[in-house]
Amino acid sequence: MLAYREKENLIHKLHPLAAVAYITVIILLALLFSHPVYLLGLLLAVGTVIIASGNYREWKPYLLISLGLITVIMLVNAVFVQAGSTVLFNGPRVPVLGKIRITLEAICYGIGMGIRLLVITSVFCFYTYAVHPDKVLKLFSRFGNKSVLAVTLSTRLFPLMIRDVRRITEVQRCRGVKLDTGSRWQRVKNRLPVINVLLLSSLERSWQMAESMQARGYGSGKRTCYTRDLLRPGDYLILFAAVLSLITGIWAARQGWSAYTYYPRLESFKLGELKMAMIIMLALTVPAMLGWGWKKWPLLKSRI
Amino acid sequence: MAVIKIQDLTYYYPESEKPALDNINLEITGGQFVLLVGGSGCGKSTLIRALSGLIPDFYGGTYRGKVFLNGKEIRQLDRRSLVRQVGMVFQDPESQLVMTNVEQEVAFGLENLGLPNSLMKRRVMEVTGALALSGYLHGFIPELSGGQKQKVALASVLAMQPEILVLDEPTSQLDPVAGEEILAMVRRLNEENGITVILVEQRLERCFHLADRVLVMENGRILYDGVPESVARWAAKNKSPFIPPLARLFAGVGFPEVPLTVKQGREILKAYYPFPGLRNRNPKIKRAEAAGDECLVDIQNLWFTYPSGKEALKNINLKIRPGDFTVIMGENAAGKTTLLKNITGLLKPGRGQVKVLNRDTKKVSVEELASTIGYLSQDPNDYLFLPTVREELAFTLSNMCLSDDGVSAEILQRLQLTSYAETNPRDLSSGERQRVALASVLVARPQVLLLDEPTRGLDYRLKAELGDILLQLQAEGKAVLVVTHDVEFAAEYAESIVLMAEGTIIAGGSKYEMLTRSTFYSPQISKLFNNLVDDVVTLEQGREILTRLMVVKENQVVCG
Repeated sequence: MLAYREKENLIHKLHPLAAVAYITVIILLALLFSHPVYLLGLLLAVGTVIIASGNYREWKPYLLISLGLITVIMLVNAVFVQAGSTVLFNGPRVPVLGKIRITLEAICYGIGMGIRLLVITSVFCFYTYAVHPDKVLKLFSRFGNKSVLAVTLSTRLFPLMIRDVRRITEVQRCRGVKLDTGSRWQRVKNRLPVINVLLLSSLERSWQMAESMQARGYGSGKRTCYTRDLLRPGDYLILFAAVLSLITGIWAARQGWSAYTYYPRLESFKLGELKMAMIIMLALTVPAMLGWGWKKWPLLKSRI
Repeated sequence: MAVIKIQDLTYYYPESEKPALDNINLEITGGQFVLLVGGSGCGKSTLIRALSGLIPDFYGGTYRGKVFLNGKEIRQLDRRSLVRQVGMVFQDPESQLVMTNVEQEVAFGLENLGLPNSLMKRRVMEVTGALALSGYLHGFIPELSGGQKQKVALASVLAMQPEILVLDEPTSQLDPVAGEEILAMVRRLNEENGITVILVEQRLERCFHLADRVLVMENGRILYDGVPESVARWAAKNKSPFIPPLARLFAGVGFPEVPLTVKQGREILKAYYPFPGLRNRNPKIKRAEAAGDECLVDIQNLWFTYPSGKEALKNINLKIRPGDFTVIMGENAAGKTTLLKNITGLLKPGRGQVKVLNRDTKKVSVEELASTIGYLSQDPNDYLFLPTVREELAFTLSNMCLSDDGVSAEILQRLQLTSYAETNPRDLSSGERQRVALASVLVARPQVLLLDEPTRGLDYRLKAELGDILLQLQAEGKAVLVVTHDVEFAAEYAESIVLMAEGTIIAGGSKYEMLTRSTFYSPQISKLFNNLVDDVVTLEQGREILTRLMVVKENQVVCG
């Protein structure tokens, strides 16, 4: 089923252009920055916006899975990368890996990359739960109608196929098909009837769907695009904040502030770098701030 | 003036040697409500597809003759002007909606026509308002009910403002309430907006009286064309099943007047009132000879709650014995299908127990119960995947480790499928597919047969065939339990009725008690004789009473 659920807050009512611009800027900056403070700033900004959109509960599993992954990345990096001068642990020699040597720099590098991963998974969580997929698809349909339609159709048919699988499985079990007994190979083989029926029924359905599209004039000429989304002052503010963060981020990158040297020894933080990270983080929390104001002040609500 | 004119239209589907349409000549004037009736595979759907240009553009095949729309030959029209004139709504709402939200779906056709955004907004607003869809504009389509989905399909066609609305069994996949709603909308569009309507429909009791004209088709030809009353007489004379039960009853006994609605029927009967000495001989239900007193399924204090927390069954008590033929009726979400699943073992009771042949279903797997409990689901396609009908039956036998002692041949013969034994079941018609699915269940010789909405999408003839098969099984001592919304089917074939609401059994008893004196759960025949003659449920009873009435009337005339 569709993960998105409409909620009564500003972020759920954003124009898809503002939401997509915000998400794109976060992803670009996460790929551009390697400085852990900058990445942490991005994470804090996305986290605040997710909480402001009322999706903290949905974000929690993403956080838990990502934290697990970060631990794995950190351990693997620490074990495999021998670089770094601050040795924390000197282990025995292990075949293939050689001598185990765990350094502070390798652990910090793993943490830095982990935060980057967390930013990206969080932003995907935000897209899944706070942005209506239809609106985004509609935004892009001006550029690639057929591919957008294919994505829309898949979104439409996926819940239907899940329901079909459930129903066909029940029917075949009532017909004596033993789905959960026997060896693993036998169980896979026993599922073939379900898959066969699903494929045949889906083929029939796709034919009917194509017929319905033909009857409604699909492919009869150039299509236009129906849209009712309006850009509000709040959307312009978020667009502005996103563009500002991107420009600041690029400028910081050109200055070499957003990069960080982990090896051979951890570099110290400079105040100028931290100030810039703060500006970017504040700009990217604009949606959360607006969302909060939208909730608290009816006057602001009516203005943005 | 004729908006549609068909001249000598003959059409063959690709790789078919039998014509699907055979020399059709037809004229339809603007604003008419035309009902197209006939058996499965008679050419109704093909004819309406020819009107909407899908034949031959989408299907290919061999096409002869001409179809004119407002005087212009359809092949000469470009597709945009064609879809602006003819809008088509299909049978299955699931298979005709392409977008994920209601608003986008309604706008889909308009985008295809290349209309400007401002005009699209207006049309979407108008049509969703008119069909009471405004509240669901941003609704996710897979989460809507079947009726709402079909309304969206209708709205998306109406937004294109077609002059002719063609509907291919639009209510066949819906429950009666949603079906009535769709038909009421179609009637309103015809009466208030003057839209020409061409409707293909199986449940004629719902729509026969709405039509200005009825076309009866068979083997790709139009057999009869006339106003509903004359079609009813013709059908009764020619033993055609394609008229509503009430009209069939009156015309069948040769009554001078033929009503199309219960109201008209009661008006006719009032002329004979009071009925001197006319009392219905309420037939006693005879239990099948093969029936025993042992309990095949014993449900005691059954409670069931889904993981979502929804309490679907509450304190259900029911016994199913050999030779029972019970129909479970009730609104959507009353718990009917959940009850069936508890009997098959697909779901296990939360509290209470379900015993099948004295075995607690909690301790037995679905697969083990499968040879005792046969289950036929709503969609026969869920069963069919093998290359031949024979293999479908063999598959069930091999699953249950049973040998074929001639049972396959016997079941194929009984369900009139012998000639299709080597045919791919997916190449068969919907009625035949259902028989194959039923055969694949019956081949295991289950003692209890559960059927979920088996009459959905079936025409009168196929329904009668299914009913007869079930009666034969009942006579052999098998227990039959059917979940259906089809009151007419229940009235004709069931022995007892169970009414469910909100997860509980609210009433149960013989069909003569349950289906009379009810506003919603009674067949047309019961409504006709309500307060005139007691406990009339079946066509046979109705026929008997009308015949006696005619005799009384004749005697009065002779005496007078």
